[in-house]
Amino acid sequence: MKLLIIEDEKELAENIRSYLSNEEIICELANSYQEAEEKLLNFPYDIVLLDLMLPDGNGLDILELIKQKNTGIGVLIISAKNALDDRIKGLDRGADDYLTKPFHLSELNSRMKAIFRRRKFDGRTYLTFEEIKIDTANHEVEINDKLIEFTVKEYELLLFFVTNKNRVLTKQTIAEHLWGDNVDFLDSYDFVYQHIKNMRKKIINAGGKDYLKTIYGLGYKFSV
Amino acid sequence: MRLLTKTTIFYLLLMMLVFSIGGITIYRSVKKVVALETDYALIYNFQIIEAALKKGQELEDLLTDKVYVNKLIGLPKIDSSFKFSDTIAIHPQLKRPEPHRKLTTSRLINEHGYHFQILEVFIEEGDVLDGVVNVITRLFLVLSIVILVFSFLISKKLFQPFQDILKRIGHFNLKSDEDLILPKTTTKEFKELNHFIESMTSKARQDYLSLKEFSENASHEMQTPIAVAKGKLELLLESEDLQPEHLKLIQSAQVSLSKLSKMGMALSLLTKIENQEFSNQEPINFSKIVESAIFDFKEICELKSLTIETNIAENIKLKIDGALADILVGNLLKNAVHHNWVKGHIKVTLNSDKLTISNSGEKPVIPTEQLFNRFTKNNQSSSTLGLGLSIVKKICEVSNLNIDYYYENEEHILKILFP
Repeated sequence: MKLLIIEDEKELAENIRSYLSNEEIICELANSYQEAEEKLLNFPYDIVLLDLMLPDGNGLDILELIKQKNTGIGVLIISAKNALDDRIKGLDRGADDYLTKPFHLSELNSRMKAIFRRRKFDGRTYLTFEEIKIDTANHEVEINDKLIEFTVKEYELLLFFVTNKNRVLTKQTIAEHLWGDNVDFLDSYDFVYQHIKNMRKKIINAGGKDYLKTIYGLGYKFSV
Repeated sequence: MRLLTKTTIFYLLLMMLVFSIGGITIYRSVKKVVALETDYALIYNFQIIEAALKKGQELEDLLTDKVYVNKLIGLPKIDSSFKFSDTIAIHPQLKRPEPHRKLTTSRLINEHGYHFQILEVFIEEGDVLDGVVNVITRLFLVLSIVILVFSFLISKKLFQPFQDILKRIGHFNLKSDEDLILPKTTTKEFKELNHFIESMTSKARQDYLSLKEFSENASHEMQTPIAVAKGKLELLLESEDLQPEHLKLIQSAQVSLSKLSKMGMALSLLTKIENQEFSNQEPINFSKIVESAIFDFKEICELKSLTIETNIAENIKLKIDGALADILVGNLLKNAVHHNWVKGHIKVTLNSDKLTISNSGEKPVIPTEQLFNRFTKNNQSSSTLGLGLSIVKKICEVSNLNIDYYYENEEHILKILFP
């Protein structure tokens, strides 16, 4: 997957690049409107991470440019503005998703991969992790080739873990992924625990191994 | 009380004092003059009688009920000086005792000594007083009417610029794009007032604008550095060999950063609502908004084992911005879940005049009217920001809705009353 990060805050762009360095992703950075325009015209990309506020131009114009080229590039807007119309404006003009700063890198990773799946395979793709197979088009989970009934939240949770495998996910990150702003931290930690307990039970009951490691007091890690 | 009414009353009181003093003075001098004139009249009468006696007229012919003359026997010592005194005598016409002035003197006429006592009725003190009071009262009345009429006319004319200034200030809006322009006037005091108010309002407007700009920028400019810091912490989590205590430190730093960013967003939302950036006030189907918000919270309610009971009337229309309506209902439900017991309950009722959300929960320890203030939390150690209800209140303010909260029978009851 080839990724272009258009973000004037170099530290933030660097964060994203380091976070994604152990995935199979080629990252390139553009710190300004001009640089972004040049790179987009000369190289092919699968996904563009787009900051709307650039020092020398408006990110929405870059979005326009990408859509004109009509290359099937997926666009994920990252912006400090959470103004509702900014969000709607971006999505109206053909962005695939919108992420408000500050975001968790794991959340960014998961959203980005979702866009990639939709774009590249029209959503018809299976994510596999050992004996677990996730059909992202139909939101179905198979373990040892057996279809297992997952609730919406359990499915989202498993998908989040699999796309961020081998990474530490804090309870806070998981809660925000599942519910956004609708819960407060303290409540949500219990809620996260309940879902994780159920998900883990379903995997083990279906003959799967327990890949979920509890990181002391902090969160969880999904790894072999 | 109006300024002019006050000055008029003050003037009238002052006039009353001056007129009273004037009245007393006039009364006194009139009385003096009257006494003097009476004395002259007595002397004049005496001189007529004296002249008549000198001509040899009979004494008896001269006596009246006001003139008493005694012929003195022998030649006693004659005191020819005039002596005046006040006395009471029967008034010949009125037939009743009245104050009189009496002249007493003696004369030697044609070798005979005479003792004269001549009376003259006084002008009554009461009459003098009546006269004075009468005149003064009339004067006072005339002058009062003149002053009242004039003060009315003056207030209309002279105070017109002042009224205009007041009206303009009343219509002044800090958020408007125009400076306050006050009507021209020729009065020095009003000119100064105008100048002062114009410079003050333009300063206030500038301050407001820069503050507004600052709060708008500050809250989203800070999101990028927070994003950077959060990312660094996440990268740190990836490193090998972290001890539990390190993980704890990273965790609490992340929580604080999240709080900071949410606070910025909430404050920027408050500012935006205040700046009327959500001004779409078309009637929307409020029932649908409430229903979809309840749907969003169903799962969370299940996780906290809350029973949720709804009674939503269909097709309730409300004039409110759609985005604000979502935030309003979302915040209220979030509160109902958060300030609730495990296995508690939530009741949501919507009808044509109000939305009522009640939920079980601990009694609030702070006064209910403070619950709507910014950063006021019922439990200071809680993880929430304390901005949810102030956002609710602000949304109600801009959407002409009334809000009512009370705690009764272990239930928090919050009502949004529609206009």
